[in-house]
Parts: sequence; C-alpha cells; structure tokens
Amino acid sequence: MATVTPEGGTAVPALSLQEITRRFGALTAVDAVTLDIAEGEFFTIVGPSGSGKSTLVRLLAGLEVPTAGTLLLRGEDITRQPANQRPTAMVFQSLALFDHRSVGQNIEFAMKMKGVAPPARRERALELLSLLRLPRDYYDRAVTQCSGGERQRVAMARALASDPEILFFDEPLSALDYRLRKTLEVELKELHQRTGKTFIYITHSLEEAMVMSDRIAIMQDGRFVQVGTPQDIYQRPRNRFVAGFMGEVNILEIRGRGESARFAGLDLPAPEVAGAYAVLRPEALQAGDGGSVRFDADIVQRLMLGSRTQYHLRVGDLALIAEIGAGVGNLMEPGQRTRFSFDPDDIAWVAE
Amino acid sequence: MIRDRHVRYLKAVWIGTIILLLYIPIVSVVLVSLANTRYMRFPHRVWSLDAYREAVDSFTTWSIHLVSLQMALCVVIMAVVLGTLGAMAFARYDWHGRSVFQRLIVLPIFFPQPVLGLALLLSFSALGITPGWKTAVIAHAVWIVPIVTLVISIRLFGYDVAQEEAAFDLGASRWQVAREVTFPALWPGIFSGALFAFLLSWSNLPLSIFTSGADTPLPVWLFSRTATNYSPLVPAVAVIGTVISALLVILLLVLRRLFRRA
Repeated sequence: MATVTPEGGTAVPALSLQEITRRFGALTAVDAVTLDIAEGEFFTIVGPSGSGKSTLVRLLAGLEVPTAGTLLLRGEDITRQPANQRPTAMVFQSLALFDHRSVGQNIEFAMKMKGVAPPARRERALELLSLLRLPRDYYDRAVTQCSGGERQRVAMARALASDPEILFFDEPLSALDYRLRKTLEVELKELHQRTGKTFIYITHSLEEAMVMSDRIAIMQDGRFVQVGTPQDIYQRPRNRFVAGFMGEVNILEIRGRGESARFAGLDLPAPEVAGAYAVLRPEALQAGDGGSVRFDADIVQRLMLGSRTQYHLRVGDLALIAEIGAGVGNLMEPGQRTRFSFDPDDIAWVAE
Repeated sequence: MIRDRHVRYLKAVWIGTIILLLYIPIVSVVLVSLANTRYMRFPHRVWSLDAYREAVDSFTTWSIHLVSLQMALCVVIMAVVLGTLGAMAFARYDWHGRSVFQRLIVLPIFFPQPVLGLALLLSFSALGITPGWKTAVIAHAVWIVPIVTLVISIRLFGYDVAQEEAAFDLGASRWQVAREVTFPALWPGIFSGALFAFLLSWSNLPLSIFTSGADTPLPVWLFSRTATNYSPLVPAVAVIGTVISALLVILLLVLRRLFRRA
C-alpha cells in the first residue's frame, strides 16, 4: 500500500479505505469509497446532510461496521476492530462530554480506562489544558459550567488524551456562533500543526473546510464527487454540485455546446467539456474594461460585506453576482448601468 | 409601599395556612397518641406515654413493621430493576411498538387502587395462589413500577446517548461504559425512584388490604384497629411508623451527600 509522497519517497498511508460500503436496508449510505489519507494530513469531508459523511466517519472510527470493503490503518486491517480497540478518537457533533464529571475527569477518561495512575493522568490532563489554552484551574470545574468554546476545547483535549494516531471530528463547530467558529477554525489548524497528527474532519461548510484542510473530499449520495486541495476545488470544481457548494457563484448555462459559446451576445471561447456550464466566481467579474469579455450590466442591488462589496447585476435576462474588494474603485449605485468584464481564463467549465 | 406590605402580609398568611393544614393531621396524631383514653378527645386530662410503652413491648408492633419493611424493600428492588430496564425501553431505544409500550406502562397508575387491588385478589385466587405479603408485593409492584419507570425515564430524556459512544471510542469496554457513563447519569433518577418506591409501598393501604392475606402490613393494621378496637396504641404505632420512614429517608439523603463528596 505504498504511495508516492510529494517529496518523491514512498510511505504507508495513515488510513486506507478500499471500497468501503455501508448499506442500511435498501439505502446505500456509503457507496464503495476508496481513498488514501496520508500521515499527518488534515483531510476534510464536505457534504450536505444525508450525503453519508457522518456514516463514513463512524465507519472509520469503528462505531459502525462496513457492509463491504477494507479499512487499513498504517497497512494493518482494522475493518472489524471495534472503536474501543482502535487507536483513534473522535470529537462528536454534540461533543458528548460526560456531564456528571469535571473537566479533568473528562480529559482523563481514556487514561483511566487504560489504567494509568492518577498522578500521571493529572499531569497529562494539565498539559492538555495548556495545549488547548484553557486555564489550569479548569481542571476541577464542572463541564456544565463551561462556555460553548470551552466545552469544545475540553472535548478536543479529551480526544487527544487517548494519544490517538488519528483524530476524527464530526461537525464539532456547527452549533457555535460565527465568530467563535472562526476563532476555533484557526485554533484547530494550529493544533493540527502542533500535534502533527492525522485529522479527519467532517463538515457541511466548504468555507470551513477551505480554511483548515490539506485536502478536501466533496461527498454526495455516498460517493466522493471530487477530492483535491482547496485550490483545486475552488478553481476547478468538477461539476455543478461542487461549484454550487462554494456558496454564491455564477453558473451560466452555455448554449451552442462544442462550438463557440455565446454569453450575453458575446463570443466565449469554446467550452472544454460537452453540455457545459460556465462557473464564474463573483470576484472574477471586475468593473471596467480590464477583462477581455466586456458587457454592460444594470446594478440591481448593492450589499456591503466588509472586506468586499457585492453587486447583484442584470444583463438581459441573466442575473449575475460580482464582488469587488473594498477600496477598489468607487462604490457604484443601484440603478446605474455599468461596464463589467472578466477574463475567459477565470471560467471553470463543468459538465452536469 | 403600603400595598407592598399588604401583599407581603397576605403571602405570609397564605403560606402559614398551607403549612398548618399540611401539618395539623400529623401533629394531631402525635397529640392523640399521648392520651390514655379510647376516645379521640382534646385537650387531654391525662398526658401519658403508656401507649408508646405498650407499642414497644408488643410483638404486633414489631411484626407489622417487619412485614411492611420487607415488602417495601422487595418493591424497591423490583421497581429499580424493572424501572431502569423499562425506562431504557421507554426513553432510550427506538423500537417497533414503543409508543404502545409507553401508553400501556402508565395505564396502571390511572387505575383506582382499590379496583386494582380487588382485581389482583381475584386473579390470585383464580390462579390458586394464597394471598400473603408476597402477593401484596406483586400488587404494589403493578402500581409502583410504572411510576418509577417514569421517574427514571425523565433522566434519560435529558441524556445524550453519544456519551456512551464517546466512552466506547475512548477505550472503555461495554461494561465500563455502563459503569462509568450510563449508571452515573441515571443514578439521580434511580435514587429518587427507589425513594418513591419505598414510601409508596410503606404507606399503601388500598392494595395491601385486598392482597396481603394473613400478613398484616402497618397501614392495614392501622386501618383495622381504627375501625374496630381503637386505643391510643394506634396513633402511637402510626407515629413510630412515620418516624421510621422519615429516618430512613434522612439517612439515605445524608448517605448520598457523603457519597457525592467522596
């Protein structure tokens, strides 16, 4: 199971999924997923609810048994090994903290199960508290008295305390408010760098995945639609589903497949794929004549987003979204008819 | 300001009245037990502890308390075991027929107890079982197990099942999960359920009167001696019975306190 590393050497993947399948009656939640995850990688699986991503991570953690397929951890078959024997740990969506125990007891749980002596447990728990930037005196605090962000950190410390080879995260930030989520995303990334462990993260937010991940898999109906680096997925989405997942993008159905496509009465370069849609990111549209494809648009709406300004445009019967960085040019007013342009290179062509 | 004072005054009167109404019966039982007459009359001409002396010396006092105690303990054990399992089925697992089960289990609570007692007596004799304290235990269980099931279920409804998976994921065996996570989370429910079971069994008359046969638990003895052959011995025994159950409850609460600190 050797793969070529970017440095040109070979390495056994931390986790290797081979045709992993899970069926519930007639429903196939996870459909023959094959994937290698490298040692120390931050790998994120993104998908809408019902895409099978939670089932997949439960299979990886050993909380579910696959209907078919093989799972290798550093080359060793662990397909039938239950969760309590796997050297992995999970941070649950609900966090699943033990509410009747203190912060310290929560963190020490895995060590207690292993039979580690109390003084050593305590020492390690205090270390983890400082790794997660929680004050030492939280050791004796009841978890029910901790704030949302603190509970989050306790859950991560508890998972790390079992000294796992791989950490799983099942949408742990989804219940938090926007600001705290942003802070914790950065902290998680730092934690990944400091611990050097393999992180496998589940989320429904591609934005969240982009911030943290080395690689991202987009999941739909139990399968991976696309696996790649954040840049790959951002710049070259494989299909409309992936493109649509990135939030607000312009997806243009192009008539005249194969031939030179037309857009708002303008000639576009011929699509690279048949039955094509042109995916155009809002920031690829610029005010003025800078790009080679130029058109006049009516500004319908202006939204101030802080670092950038979003304009909703109308070109004939076509609705477009453009985003211009704050401080670039002057603010344009709704109702104004303005010249916009873009570069054909910024188009990502996708089939269905 | 004046209105405030009136409101406060009315509140105090209201609370005082309720407390008085709640405690008058208990106080009056204590008072009549201190008389030496066969008639409940007040004020007493002679104050006397004779009834208590008689109660302590009498074999009957000990035997009715023992009968009630062993019944209550049996009911507690049955109610806790069946109630915990029932609560799991009631609130923890999703299974086919759960909603029917949820309705059936609470049905006995709404049954009038004397009717339930009579029905059970008829069933026992139809089955050829001689009524005694054991049949009374079963009768109590029919009524008390559903209550305890509900009490423990309340704990389970506010319980995140993912905690068990988390413990399992962190290396606990199935047994350790039950001991370290499920049981501690359920413990407050089990504790109050057991307390309920004990007190409800200890004080039950309508079920016991039909189903206890030749054995006489405390409430049945109190009832029959009040109806016929009353003497101050009756309230004296009643006071002793109340004190015993109160002491047991206090003891349990103190034990729990100590247990929690440790």
